Amino acid sequence: MKFLNIFQNTNLTPLKLLDLAFIIVLLPLFLMLKVPMLVFVVMVLGIVFFTKKPAKTWLIILIFVLGIFALYLSLYGAFSFRGLSRLKLFLELLVYVLLIVVSMQRLTQQINIYLLLSPFLFLALSLFFFHGMLMLIYVIFEIFFLLWMILSHRMEGDIVESFRSSIVMFMYSLPWVVVLFIFFPRISFEHASYGFRGETVQRMGHDGTMFLDNKALLVPSDRIVMEVGFEKKVPPSNLLYFRGSILYIDNKDHWEPIPSFVKRKKQVLRKINVDTIEYKVTLYPTQKRWIYLLDVPVKPVKESKLDRDLISTVKHSIKEPMHYAATSALSSRFYDELDRYTLKVSSRVNPKHNPQTYAEAMKIKDLYPSIEKRAKEIIKFFKSKSLTYTLKPEPLDINHTTDSFLFDKRRGYCVHFASSFVTMARMTGIPSRIVTGYKGDVSNALNNYLAVKEKNAHAWAELYINQHWVRYETTSTASHIESQQQTDEDGESVKSTKNPLVKKVNLYLMYAKYQVETWILYYSNIRQKQLLQYAKDNPKFIFTFVVSLIFLVMISFLLISYFRRPTYSSEALAILQPLLQFLKKKGFVRKKSESLHQYFMHYVEENQEKIELTMIIKEIDKIYELIVYGNMNTKELLKGLKKLVKKFKKI
Amino acid sequence: MNYKISSEFIPTINAIEKHLVGKRETIALSLATFFAGGHLLLEDIPGVGKTTLAKYLSQVLGLDFGRIQFTSDMLPSDILGLNYYNQKEGSFVFKQGPIFTSFLLADEINRSMPKTQSALLQAMEEGVVTIDSVAYTLPEPFFVIGTQNPHEEVGTFPLPNSQLDRFMCSFGIGYPDSASERAILKGDKEDSNTVSQALLTSSEVEMYMKKVIKVTLSDALLDFLQAIIAYTRESEVFEYGLSIRGALALTAMVKSWAMLQGRNYATADDVQMVTSIVCSHRLVFIEGKTTAKRIHDEIFTQIHSDT
Repeated sequence: MKFLNIFQNTNLTPLKLLDLAFIIVLLPLFLMLKVPMLVFVVMVLGIVFFTKKPAKTWLIILIFVLGIFALYLSLYGAFSFRGLSRLKLFLELLVYVLLIVVSMQRLTQQINIYLLLSPFLFLALSLFFFHGMLMLIYVIFEIFFLLWMILSHRMEGDIVESFRSSIVMFMYSLPWVVVLFIFFPRISFEHASYGFRGETVQRMGHDGTMFLDNKALLVPSDRIVMEVGFEKKVPPSNLLYFRGSILYIDNKDHWEPIPSFVKRKKQVLRKINVDTIEYKVTLYPTQKRWIYLLDVPVKPVKESKLDRDLISTVKHSIKEPMHYAATSALSSRFYDELDRYTLKVSSRVNPKHNPQTYAEAMKIKDLYPSIEKRAKEIIKFFKSKSLTYTLKPEPLDINHTTDSFLFDKRRGYCVHFASSFVTMARMTGIPSRIVTGYKGDVSNALNNYLAVKEKNAHAWAELYINQHWVRYETTSTASHIESQQQTDEDGESVKSTKNPLVKKVNLYLMYAKYQVETWILYYSNIRQKQLLQYAKDNPKFIFTFVVSLIFLVMISFLLISYFRRPTYSSEALAILQPLLQFLKKKGFVRKKSESLHQYFMHYVEENQEKIELTMIIKEIDKIYELIVYGNMNTKELLKGLKKLVKKFKKI
Repeated sequence: MNYKISSEFIPTINAIEKHLVGKRETIALSLATFFAGGHLLLEDIPGVGKTTLAKYLSQVLGLDFGRIQFTSDMLPSDILGLNYYNQKEGSFVFKQGPIFTSFLLADEINRSMPKTQSALLQAMEEGVVTIDSVAYTLPEPFFVIGTQNPHEEVGTFPLPNSQLDRFMCSFGIGYPDSASERAILKGDKEDSNTVSQALLTSSEVEMYMKKVIKVTLSDALLDFLQAIIAYTRESEVFEYGLSIRGALALTAMVKSWAMLQGRNYATADDVQMVTSIVCSHRLVFIEGKTTAKRIHDEIFTQIHSDT
């Protein structure tokens, strides 16, 4: 620690300390400053750096004018009074105004309370603009740094000692921060827009219709659509079907859902004899109103509507990451009383579009009266056609898509399989429909965490058999699977990581990020309620929580004691500490210039009537001197010293 | 100050105190300087007992006493000695100067010319006198007490700081306190012509000097010492800091003071006791007058020993 001595007497003036604090706090804000304002700030910093004297009035007025000018340029075009209703614009304006005012005050070189407060204001403002994990880390750093600055100012510029103290204060506060955080969830800026308009714009993924032609949106990207946290381990892939929308109407080249204005009978939810599971979803902005639930949702998610096809929608399109907790029974079939309209729509098929398929379907229909048998036969038929699953199929004949797929091209992906399957099923007289959504892949799962990516978008079929909708994984009828790797070799680069190790590491990072995001960044009263509910259901959890809290307290105390470990030059002095503190409490203060021997003699002199005590003190002094100066650092002497200290305190 | 002189030295100090009433601490410090193997510079106005101290110190220590009264016309040969032509023998013979003694009182050292001063100081440092390229070793132990009048008078040549550095300690004797003064005025002081008996044998002196060297300095104490030395160098109140020789002198004095108290280890108190007398002629305040007390206060309000 010798090198730290250099800093020992760095007497930073309050103004310099303040400058440091400003720079630290403004760093993240620099990222969002518009160029004119940035130039202004750099200019002010330059003036501050090069001038030693307080600025003249004309300079301050000039700075004010320049600042207003920079503000005008920065907000040119963006600003309108209507625009102020957008939170970010409003805050930006606030930051700019604050920057100008602070610059002016700083140039006068007079510190007033507002100047002192403004670093904290900037800190708070930067939280509005950035809410990522990096910012979280940076904010912790900032708070620590500001604390350090304040302490070092109070401690007359003793950088090392104030660093030590701020670490200690930080450590002390740690357990309480955790407790406060859990019981007083912060209002997430993401969620509460304070009456300001939201403005995150992002498009992705799943759409209400399903195209069969080349326009079919197929992006095998690794972009995350949603992150799912399960109560326990992630269930196997064949149970991870997230319902998106249901498509009934065949429009040759694309499928559509039933228009929303059609009134249909309500769904009668009947209990499914499968254990339900609970899970929490973070859905990233889709600009759509669907939220995705696992098949089969048991109850509607709060603030969303579960329609008769068990599709969940929310009132407004999702523009910010959305969090919801859901319950589903992982079943591939569920009971439904079909109304006439739905029955009609899900049976409608035009034989003329696909005559070849129709012929095959009629064969099956004639041979097998049982609907279940027919469905099995269709699968058999699909399998016999040796179809290839590929992400790069040749285009189908859009007027006869099913015929084209089954008899001609025989290459396609989930959309083509599902569409053809449903068409054929309807031809054989089975009411059926297409479900689109996402199918989770356990290779993107870790413990209880599952990441659903855009490339997990999927479509499958549901057949109405014995008053139940039964899920059919239509792509499983494919005889060959053309892996993505082969198609990539065509030359088109799809940048998805192939290295399993990289993928694994990536997954772990995502998992960690997800945990931090759910439990820290997006921790809100909703999460709090979830936590309370969870605690209610699992008494064990309370125990674990308390234990880990105690553990945390202990860790922080250990760290504190590490940082506060006495820097006494000897063990003997450490032993004497309780005695010295005791004497200090009694009002017997040791002068700075006094050596310990002098201090003890002083005590003896002043307390001559307490013979017993002075005797012990004399003894302690003698032993102490032997240990520290006489180089007789033996265990017996140290033990003797300890005993004497105890004895003294007893008396 | 807290110190307790070991009973071995009490008779010695008592014997001198008979002639220098009320100056036990000064006597003890002089003894310590002697045992540390250094030389002593007494700086005080005339008539406070500088010579008395030197005289009786030499007597109780059982050392040969030599005295040189420095004057402005003195030549180096008046101190060191010279080769003269012995007509009887027909050859040059070396005649020892007054410096060839174990205990030398160099009175009013600043009265002589720098040339003469430096002749003495060189001898003090090296313990050897060289005349006409022949080296003559001075007796062992060799102890010089220099005295000088602090007030500059006409016809004095103040010692340069580099030369002052050769003295281990420097202090004044000061006026006696009123009780002692009363005793002196009453005539309780012993007759100045009585000769004190030697209380220490030469072998004892040698033993004590060896003991001083063997005093241990713990790490804690060395830290403290180094902090002090570093402070004198870094602080802006002094013109320059302690030299290495100064630092060695400080250490030697600390050890010697510890030995005088019958300990074989030194403590922070010892350091506090001797620092100002070791430093008072070595350090110079940039502003204001340099006094031992001021040095002591300056150093020990800044540098503290935890221990």
